[in-house]
Parts: sequence; C-alpha cells; structure tokens
Amino acid sequence: MAAPGAGVRLGGEFMRKVKPIFSSNEAEARQRVISLYKAWYRQIPYIVHEFDIPKSVRQCREKLKEEFVKNKDLKDVRIIDAKVIKGQMDLVETKKMWRQKHHVMNYFQDTRNKQPTDFLSKFYAGRE
Amino acid sequence: MRHPCEEEDGRLGGDREYWRRVSFRHRDTPENNPDTPFEFTPENLKRAKAIIGNYPLGHQAAAVIPLLDLAQRQHGWLPISAMHKVGEMLSVPRMRIYEVATFYTMFNRNPVGKYHLQVCTTSPCWLRGSDDIVNCIKKKLGIDVGQTTEDKIFTLHEVECLGACVNAPMVQINDDYYEDLSVKDMEEILDDLKSGRKPKPGPRNGRYASEPLAGLTSLKEEPYGPGFKVRSDL
Amino acid sequence: MTRCIQCTRCIRFASEVAGVDDLGTTGRGGDMQVGTYVEKMFASELSGNVIDICPVGALTSKPYAFTARPWETRKIESIDVLDAIGSNIVVTTRTGEVMRILPRMNEDINEEWISDKTRFAYDGLKRQRLTFPMVKDADGQLVPCDWEDALLVVSQKVKAAGGKVAAVAGGLCDAEALTAMKDLLNCLGSEAVCTEEIFPCDDMTGTDFRSNYLLNSTIARVEEADQILLVGTNPRFEAPLLNARIRKGWIHNEADVALIGKKVDLTYDYKHLGESGDILKELSVGKHPFWKTLQKATRPVVIVGSGILQRSDGPIILALAQALAEKLRQSSQGCTDVLTTTEIRLWCCTMDAMATVESNWRVLNVLHRVASQVAALDLGYKPGVDVIRKHPPKVLFLLGADENALTKQDIPKDTTVVYIGHHGDKGVEMADIVLPGAAYTEKQGTYVNTEGRAQQTLVAVTPPGMAREDWKIIRALSEIIGLRLPYETLKEVRERMREISPTLTRYGNAEEANYFKQALQLAQSLKGSLAPDSLSPRLLTLKDFYMTDSISRSSRIMARCVQAATQAMQSKY
Repeated sequence: MAAPGAGVRLGGEFMRKVKPIFSSNEAEARQRVISLYKAWYRQIPYIVHEFDIPKSVRQCREKLKEEFVKNKDLKDVRIIDAKVIKGQMDLVETKKMWRQKHHVMNYFQDTRNKQPTDFLSKFYAGRE
Repeated sequence: MRHPCEEEDGRLGGDREYWRRVSFRHRDTPENNPDTPFEFTPENLKRAKAIIGNYPLGHQAAAVIPLLDLAQRQHGWLPISAMHKVGEMLSVPRMRIYEVATFYTMFNRNPVGKYHLQVCTTSPCWLRGSDDIVNCIKKKLGIDVGQTTEDKIFTLHEVECLGACVNAPMVQINDDYYEDLSVKDMEEILDDLKSGRKPKPGPRNGRYASEPLAGLTSLKEEPYGPGFKVRSDL
Repeated sequence: MTRCIQCTRCIRFASEVAGVDDLGTTGRGGDMQVGTYVEKMFASELSGNVIDICPVGALTSKPYAFTARPWETRKIESIDVLDAIGSNIVVTTRTGEVMRILPRMNEDINEEWISDKTRFAYDGLKRQRLTFPMVKDADGQLVPCDWEDALLVVSQKVKAAGGKVAAVAGGLCDAEALTAMKDLLNCLGSEAVCTEEIFPCDDMTGTDFRSNYLLNSTIARVEEADQILLVGTNPRFEAPLLNARIRKGWIHNEADVALIGKKVDLTYDYKHLGESGDILKELSVGKHPFWKTLQKATRPVVIVGSGILQRSDGPIILALAQALAEKLRQSSQGCTDVLTTTEIRLWCCTMDAMATVESNWRVLNVLHRVASQVAALDLGYKPGVDVIRKHPPKVLFLLGADENALTKQDIPKDTTVVYIGHHGDKGVEMADIVLPGAAYTEKQGTYVNTEGRAQQTLVAVTPPGMAREDWKIIRALSEIIGLRLPYETLKEVRERMREISPTLTRYGNAEEANYFKQALQLAQSLKGSLAPDSLSPRLLTLKDFYMTDSISRSSRIMARCVQAATQAMQSKY
C-alpha cells in the first residue's frame, strides 16, 4: 500500500491516493451534483418571486444550466465536492433571504463587457 | 563697500563709472569690436617672437601676459581685436585670453587717454591727503573719476595701493610714479604734461626715493666689504 | 548669475569634454563671473550636459524650466534612437506627456553624457504626429478612417499584387517591426525588403559577415586606441558621444587622429590627410607616407563613415578599408604566437620592426548614422533600394522611411504606397494609405547600436490617438490578408528574433564579430574603381546637426537651435 499522496501509474494516467471530502468516487459526486441542480431548479420560481428580479424563470433556468455546464470538464472528485458544497451554501443563503437582489443578479453579469481575447479585437480596441 | 551696479539711468556718476569699468562683460561699441584694426608693428612682431621664444615648445600660452602688455603699449589700451590677435598667435583659445585680460587690472579694456592718471586712495595715501590730489585734478581738468578729457589726453582713475606708502600721497602716470605730492605739485605736473614736457618722476619734495627727509638715520657709513668681523682663520 | 558658485564645472566640461572653450571666469575675487565674456553661444553639440553638471541651478534647461516638478513625474529608462550610438536615457513623463530626457550612466556607451539632439528633440514627439489611419479617397485626398477599413483596403491591394510587394525601412524602426515586416513579405513571396540607408552589399563585400558593418572595437575601447583613422566621417555630428570618447583618448591616452575627408572642426587636433579616396588606396597597399605611422601603432582603429558608403563606389571604399585594417591587424604575423604578455609586446615595440597588435583587438569599424540599420542588417534586410527600383512592386510599404530614398518618380504610377510610421514627414507625402505607428518613447522595442549591442526602449507614454505599435499593425494586417504570422505577444516576437539572430535579444552585450580574413578574401575579388569625388560627410557644421530625422525635424526647439547656430556662425566671435 503506497503512502497517501504518493503517485502511481494506472492505465496511462497518473493517479494519487488522497483523502476524500464527501464522495469517494465519481458516481457519488455525480449524484451530489445532480441533486444540487434539482434543488436549485425547484427553488428558482420562488427566487424570482421573492427577490423580484427582472428576469423570467426560463432565463434563470438557462443561467443555472450555463453555470453547471461551465464546470463539466472537472475530473477531480474533491474539487467537484468543494464546488457542490459552495453551491449548497449559496442555495441556503438565497432561500433564507440572507442575500439581496444584487447578489442574485450578479450571476447574470449584464453590465460586464467581454474583453477581447483574440489578437485582432485587442488590436482594434488598443489593448495589449 | 560700494555696490557694483550696471547702468540704470543715462547719467553715470563716479562710482557707477568705476564699476562699469570693472564689469566683466564685453559689449561691442563702435570703437571696441572684433573689427577694430589691430596689427603688431614689425618691431613689435620681432619682440613678440623673442618673447614667445622664451618659453618651451607647447607652453606658448605662458606668453599671453607679455604679449597683451605689448599690445596695450602699442595701441594705448587693449581692444578685443588685440586679444583675438594674441590668441591667434599663440594658438590659445580666445576665452583664455579674455580670462587673463579681465583678471589683471593693468590691462585697460576700455580706451584711456594719453596720460593715465592713477591716484592711490588707500589708507596711508588717504591719511596724507590723497583726496586733495584727486579734487585738484578733477577741478583742473574738469573730469570726474573714471572719465577721460575731451581731447583724450588725460584719464583719471582711483586705484588701490601702489606700494609707495612712504611717499604718500602719490600718483602713477603711465609707467612713472610721482610721489610726495602737494596740490601745487600736482598742478605743475599737469601743466607740464599738457605742454608736452615730461615732468621728473619720483618724490617731489627733493628726497631720494624713500629716504628720510631730514637725512639718513642709518646706512651712513661705507658698506662693509666681505670678510668684515669674520674670524681670521676662516 | 545669482546662483553660480564658481565651481567651474561647466568651464572644465566645455574645455575638456566638449572641446569648445567658450566658457570662462572673468574678473577675480568677489566680482568673478562665469560666462562667455562676449555675446556668444556655447556652440557645442554636447552643450546640454552642463545642465546636469551644474550643482546649483545657475545653468538650467530652458525648454523644461517651470513645466513640471520632479515629484509629479514618472521616470522610465529607455534608449535614444536619434543617432546610432544608443545612449541610455531616462524619459521623464507627466500625465502621458514627455517632459524631458536625461542621461543614464553607461560606462560602455555614453558614460554620463547625451547630445543636444537627444536631450531636446522630445517636443518633436508631440508635433506632426499621425494619430489616425488614413486612406486616399477618389479625389486623391487622405481621409481619416478607422483601423478595420484601412487594414481592409491594404489587404485587398496586397492580395491583388500577387507577390509583387516591397518594403523600405527607415532609420527609427525597432527590430520587432522589422522582423514582422520581413516575415510578412517573405510569406507573400517577396524578397524586396530594404533599408533606406545604403550599405555596400554586392556578392563580394556584404552584410553576410557581421564584422563588416559593426563598430568592432566597441565605443569604450576606442578610447584606448593609439592611432585613429577616420574615413569620410564627421563623428562630431554623426555620433557626438563617439567623438567625446575619441577626444578623451586624445587627451589622456595620447591618441593620434588622422582624417580622410573634408577638413572639419572635430574639437581636437588631427592630421588631415586629404579628401580623395586615393589616399585610402595608397594606405591599403602601404605606399602612402602616413603608412609608417600607422604600422607602428599597437592599437590602430579605422572608422569608416556610413555616409560615404552610400556612394556608388561604396563597396570599393569598404574593401580598401578592410584591406588596410587586416594589414594592420596582422602586422606581426610571426610574433603573435609567442607574444602573449604585455612586456614582450613592449619590447617588440622598441624594435625597428612593425609593432604588434593585441590578438583580440579589432581594427575595422563602421559608424552608422541611423539606429535601425544594424538590426535590419542582422535580420537580413537588403541595404539600399536598388532591388525595388529594378523590380517595381505593386504595393510598397514604407516603415518610417522619411529620407526620400524612393520618390514618386522611382515607382510606377499604379503602386500603392502604405506608410507605417509616427510622423507626418516626407514619407506620408507619397503615401496612399497611412497607418499610424508609435515613436521610440511609446513602444517596447529592440534597437541595436552601431557596436552591435542590443538594447530595448521601454514604454514611457502611450501612442497618441489611434496609433498602435508597429509590429502589431503588421501582425494585424497579416491576419486580415490571411497569412497569419505565428506570434501574438511581444515575447513570441522576440522568440522569433532570437531564432533569426540570437544577438538581437541578448540585451546589453556587444558580441565580438570575427571573419575579417574571410570577408577580406571575398572583398578582394571586387572589381571597380574609386570615384574622384571627395570623401566628405554630409554633416559639416553645427547647424546641420540638429535636424536629421523625422522627430528632430518636427521639433520647435531644434528649429531654434538651427537658427541660433546659423547666427553664431555669422558672428565674428
């Protein structure tokens, strides 16, 4: 048995034995993620009503999907767990109205302009 | 202490004229500009060559003072074109010549008359009445200190100690000292100069150089020869 | 005069370093004054340095006085590009405007001095600037537009040209822009990338060997030379800091200087050998009487000016200089193996035989006049625009080319001329499309000085208006044409430069070049003869010195300097 943290080659990928946070494998992590998603999905109509945000339920649900899809490529189970924990905390704060409207609207980032990323746009904008 | 001041009003009094003379900036005038004609005469050129020959090769700059003096004696005063000529002859940059010419008070960078009356007014001479001498000259010639007479014969300046304190009061006219002056003596000297005679330089009251008036009080005997009071066996 | 403490630093600087004895002390004692005594200007190209020297504020910078306070300003270290020396400077800025330029100490290049042009031409950076892209419309007037349109027009013309494109680089271009331009043109299938400044480049003498076009004995070691031969150059106005070094050697190390060219005032005594190129010919075969003096030198230096290499017989002149330099370097063939210590070398000097030259001493030097020439030659640019004249292009890029090497008459009527630069000088007059670039204080660029030392300027202010950095313009253009260049950041451009020539990115290092023998062998098969004209440089008097490139030509301060210098020349003092 190798020491915790030591690495071993397993099937072409480099793996380490580490201490888990909640889930011990990908299936458990996936379950957690999906249940978080469902919880948020069901809370959205109440969020829209209670915070009186100028977005429709459909728009909020699209944003929810977008946020989850952003992290679709994560592999490390502990990171997934940590993100789920954070998502859970956000949900609790939102449900209990410890947050305000602007906290919820921050998810939408309406006023943030996208910075140009390719050379030509940066050139036209005069940026580095 | 008098304060040096540039000309602010048109009228220049004695003090201002004095300090204008010593103001160390050259501004072109019709008389004194780089085109003022100046050439060494052939004899002076020979003298100049002899002077330059006194100094080793590469050190011709040492001849600046003698050559400027030569130029001043030839021309009466030292125009800027003379300084340029000396600089050319010695391959010395012009600024170095200007520096030397402004350092020494005997180099007159403005026109002076034929007779340059320099009255010493420092303490020993002043105690012995140099003020009277100055006033006498002023009254007789009608000029102020620092000015030149209309006919360009006399220029009057007050200068610092000339080293003839024993014979105070005294005046230096060109290269000669006229010492032990009284007002009458001064007037005589001026009359002589005006009529073209050369008055006898030296003390005017009859004594020889700075010897005591009442006769010698020391050095009365013949000088000792070598071996005086020396042991016989040396 | 009120602040002067008569420390005489300015006088001693004028007399020793600048060589112009215009300042002195007049009077003595309490009335001593420091000045020029007569109404005269301190007519030296290094006169601005007295501002740095004066410990009190008696001598101050007139253009800068009362414009800014030091705590409001930001200081950025940079390099000067108005001559080929690459003096280190500090650019002082406030609210995005250059307020003044001060020297930085660099013992190898400029010690602690900078020339007047470097110091005072900064106000040219604010005048005559190109700030927006312009395209010629149907009436033939240049009309402002925005970047997309301008680049689109250029790319259409380039695509229609089918490989017949050419580029001319001026004197103030950084190596990044030169690299990008060359890469773009090579991708389009053209080899016609040229510099305005000509350098002899046949198949024989050429730019293949770096030692042919550098100041091989570096600026610092020129001071140690004991015999200097200047051919067709006036270092006083072409490279004032090199002249100060030669003067330093002349004063402290008893260097003797000889000049072939027009007799000019160099602030030190030199032997004027004549004006004709035949003198160089005779020296290179050992027939001229001066050869005896040259061969006795243990550290001879031959400096050829880039100005006379612009002539049609430039290759011959360079070949003769190479021959002479090689003769001097190998003047004691048998002894070099044995003689390794200084003592033995000195013994050899007392013998009647020719003196030995140190084994790593380099004799041949070329003094360039523009800052971008060495970098361009390192990158593989063809010096001189003959290639373009022979094969007229359909699209011509002018990269800051303001010396009119190519005029409207030299190119066909239907050629599109694209000008990429920062000042509206002569290049813009013949341009059809104008793309505004950045000046040397506004970009981080690499400049290689005449010794081959790469240095970089840093960004002190941002380019005005819609101007962009030059290499970025070229990269954006390449993307629109469709031949995207493989670099997007400065780091990647510099990687590319390092691929081409590693010396371009080794900042601060002057690498010693070799292959003198081989270069000479190639040069000796050159055919041709010397033209009878005198080998005289272009900059002869102080008034010619002040306005030599687009930045100094736009500067009001330089215009007043020219006026003052012209007046000073006519004064009798």
